[in-house]
Amino acid sequence: MNAHTVQTVPAERRYGLRARLRATARSEWVKLWSVRSAPAVLEATAVVIVVGALVLSSGYRSGWASLSASERAAFDPTYTSLRGIELAQLFVGALGVLAVTSEYGTGLIRATLAATPQRTQVLVVKGLVLGAVVWVVSTASSFGAFALGQRLFTGPMPHAALGDPGVLRAVLGGGLYLTLIVLFGTALGALSRSTPLGLAALFGVLLVLPLMVNLLPGSLADRILPYLPGEAGAQVWHVMPPSPRSLGPWQGFALFALYVVVSAGAVLRLTRRRDV
Amino acid sequence: MIEARELTKRYGHKAAVSGLDFRVEPGRVTGFLGPNGAGKSTTMRMILGLDLPSSGSVTVNGRRYQGMVWPLYEIGALLDARAVHPGRSAYNHLHSLAAANGIPRSRVDVVLEQVGLTAVARKRVGGFSLGMSQRLGIAGALLGDPGILLFDEPVNGLDPDGILWIRTLMRSLAAEGRTVLVSSHLMSEMALTADHLLVIGEGRLLADMSLDELIARDATDRVEVRAVDHHRLAGELRTLGGEVTLEPDGTLLVVGVDSATIGELAAAQGHVLHQLRDVTSSLEEAYFRLTEDSVVYRAPVPA
Amino acid sequence: MPIGTTDTPMPAAQAQRPPVTPLSRGRAVLASEWIKLRSLRSLWTTALAGFGFSVGLSFLVCSSFQSRWHTLGAQAQAHFHPIDISLGFLQITSLFFGALGALVVTTEYGTGEIRGTFVATPQRPLVLAAKALLLGLLGFGLALVTVSAAFLLGQSRLSGAVPHASLADPRAAGAVLGGALYLTLTALLGLFLGVLVRSTAIAISALFGVFTVLPVLVNNLPKGLVWRHTVPYLPSNLGFSLWHSHIEFLVRPMPAGSTLALYVIVTAGAGLALLRTRDG
Repeated sequence: MNAHTVQTVPAERRYGLRARLRATARSEWVKLWSVRSAPAVLEATAVVIVVGALVLSSGYRSGWASLSASERAAFDPTYTSLRGIELAQLFVGALGVLAVTSEYGTGLIRATLAATPQRTQVLVVKGLVLGAVVWVVSTASSFGAFALGQRLFTGPMPHAALGDPGVLRAVLGGGLYLTLIVLFGTALGALSRSTPLGLAALFGVLLVLPLMVNLLPGSLADRILPYLPGEAGAQVWHVMPPSPRSLGPWQGFALFALYVVVSAGAVLRLTRRRDV
Repeated sequence: MIEARELTKRYGHKAAVSGLDFRVEPGRVTGFLGPNGAGKSTTMRMILGLDLPSSGSVTVNGRRYQGMVWPLYEIGALLDARAVHPGRSAYNHLHSLAAANGIPRSRVDVVLEQVGLTAVARKRVGGFSLGMSQRLGIAGALLGDPGILLFDEPVNGLDPDGILWIRTLMRSLAAEGRTVLVSSHLMSEMALTADHLLVIGEGRLLADMSLDELIARDATDRVEVRAVDHHRLAGELRTLGGEVTLEPDGTLLVVGVDSATIGELAAAQGHVLHQLRDVTSSLEEAYFRLTEDSVVYRAPVPA
Repeated sequence: MPIGTTDTPMPAAQAQRPPVTPLSRGRAVLASEWIKLRSLRSLWTTALAGFGFSVGLSFLVCSSFQSRWHTLGAQAQAHFHPIDISLGFLQITSLFFGALGALVVTTEYGTGEIRGTFVATPQRPLVLAAKALLLGLLGFGLALVTVSAAFLLGQSRLSGAVPHASLADPRAAGAVLGGALYLTLTALLGLFLGVLVRSTAIAISALFGVFTVLPVLVNNLPKGLVWRHTVPYLPSNLGFSLWHSHIEFLVRPMPAGSTLALYVIVTAGAGLALLRTRDG
C-alpha cells in the first residue's frame, strides 16, 4: 500500500471567509514584524514625533520675546507640539510604500499570492494591519508629544489642555493623519511596484506639491492649497486653521481620505488584472 | 598561485572562516568543496579583497589583492552572475570592466565570442536567463586573459549543455597551465571536474589533497552479495573473518573478504548466488566520512 | 598557449598591460566609470525629468504672475522680484539632482555590481573619486543647462508692466550660476550619502527629509539665538543664499557656497572612511 496520503485541509477550515481573513491577517502580521526595518521605522516614528515636540517647542520658548504681536496671536500651542508629525510622515509613508514594493523587489509577492490567491484581500488586509499598527504607535506618540510640548510653554506663552475646544480632536487627529499616510503609501507602492518611484510619488504629492503651489501668486496659491492631499489631511491636527480658506478639520480629513480611497480603488482594480 | 595563511573571518563572535592554510597551484582544477554556509564564498571574497580578513592573510601571486594595480590581468572571477545592472547591455558591462584595467576593447568581442553571447551583446542584461548570465560572468572573468581564475558555484542554474560547457572550459583552462579554483556544493560535479580538492566545513579546512587520495583515504572496499540462503552464507563468511551486515532486502555487505574468496566459498558450499559485486567508495562517501567527525585531514605538503 | 615553468603562466594579453602610473590608473577608472554612467538609464531619466520639471514650473509660475499681475496688491507688486520668482523651482529641483547623485552608487549596491567594480579596481577611493569627478562635471553641465533654460523661458513670459530680467544683468547671471552650483553640490552630496547608506530608498527619503521637510519645519520658528546659529546652515538654506536676493536672516553667498562645499567634503570623508573598512 502506498504510504502517502494526500494532505487535505481540515473540513472546518475549508470554507469560511472569516478563517481565510484571519489567516491572511496573521501572515501579514508575521511578515511585518519579521524584518528588521519595520520595528526600526516605527521606533523612529515615535522618537521623531516626541523629539520634534521638544525641539520646536523649545524653539518657540526661547524666541518668544522676538515675536511680533500678530505672530503671537497666530501661535497654536497644540499644533506646534505636534509638528514632529511632519517629519514622521516620511518614515510612515516609506513604511507603507516599502511594505508592498519590497515584496515585489524580492519576488516574495509570488509566494504571497500563491498562498493567498485573493489579491484584493491580501492588499486590504496588509493595509489594515499596517494602519492598525501605525495608528497605535502614532496616537500614543501624539499624546506624548502634546504633553511634553505643553510643559515647555510656560510664563507668558499660551498653552493648551486636552479639555480645551478642539485640542483632544487635534491630538487624536495626529494618529489618524499618519494612519492615512501609511495607507496612501501602501496604495502608491502597489500602484508603482517600484521603491524609488513609489517614494517619489508619495513624497512628491505630500511635500513637493505644496512647495510648487506656494511659488504661484498669493491669491492663486491660497485657492489651491487647501485641496492638496497633505494640506487637507493636516487640518485634523490643527486647532487654529492655518489660513482663512482652510477646509476645517473633518472636511479636510475627509477629502484626504477620499484621495486615499480613490488611489486604493485604482490599485485594487489594477491588481486583479495585472500579471504579478 | 593563491596562498592563504591562517586566514580568519569573524562576524561578531561567529567565525565564518577560521585558520585556513592552503595553496592553490597552477595547472590543475582545484575544487573548493563544502556544504552551503561552510565559508566558501567568504573565502573567495577575501581572496578578491572584497571582505577584509579578521586575521591572517591571503595573497594572489604573492601579493595582497588590494595592492594589485591591474588585477584583471592576473586574476578573473565569477562571483554572483546576477550582479549586473539589468538595464545595461552585456557589451557595456564588459566594456566598463575592461576599461577599468586598460584592457583593449577588442578583448570584449573576443570573450563574448568565447562564451557564445555575441548575438545578444547589445541586449539588456535584465532579459537574460540564468544560464546566459553565468556565461556573461565567465566572460568577465576571462577579459584580462588571466593566469588565475575563480568560479563561485558556476554550474548553479545551468542546463546539462551549460554544465558540460563549463566543465570543458575549466579543464582546458587548467590544461593551459592556469590556476583554476572552483567552488561547489555538488560532489558529483566536483568528481568530474577537479583534480585537487579543498574541503571545508564550518569554516575549517578538512582536507587538502588530490581527488583520488581523498576517495582512497580510509576507504573500505565492500562486496555486495545476494544469495538464496543468505543466513547460512553470512555465518560462513563470519567464520572466515569477514564483517557482514545484512540489509533489509537480504543483500549482504561484506568487508574483509574479497569477491574471489566469496565466489570460491559459494561454489564449495553449494550456494546459489544472484549477485556478487565489488563496491568502491565515492567522493560523496569520502566527503561524509570527512565531515562526520570534522577532523582536519591533511595530505603531506609536497617538497 | 605555452605552459611556463614559473608558478603562473604568462597570458597573452599580459604583454599589452598598461604602465603602472597613477595617471594611467586614474584614466582607466575614469573611462570605466564613464561607460557605466553613460549606460545608466535611470540617471538620464532623472536628469530629463528634472529638466522638464524645472522648465515647466518656471513657465507656469511666470505665466501666472503675468496674467494675474493686476490682481496683486501694491505691496505684493513692490516685493515682486523677477529673478527670484523664475528660479523658485530650485527649491525642488535640488531633489532631482540629489537623487541623481545617489542613484550613481545605490544602483551599484542594489544590483551587487559594486563587487565587480571593486574586483576590477581594488583601489576603492579611486573609484569614488572618479565617480565624483564625472558626476561633478556632468552635474554642473546639466544644472547650468536646466537653470538657464528655465530662467530664460520664465523671463520670456514676463512683459509689459511686470518687471523682468535678462542674463545680461550680472545679478541674474550670478543667480543662475549660483543655482547651478547649488544643484551640482547637491548631486555630490547625494552621491556620498548614497555611499553611506547604500540604499536607494533610504537615500531618497533622507533627501526629501533634508530638502523639503526640515526647512518647512524650522524656517519660520522665532529667530532667536539658536535659530540664527543653526537654521541658516541647513543645506536648503545655504542653497537659497546662492540664488535668492532676499537673504536677510541667512548666510552671504560666498560663505554659503563654501559651507555647502564643506558639507560635501565631510560627507565624502565619512564615505571614504567607511568604504575602506567595509566589506564590499
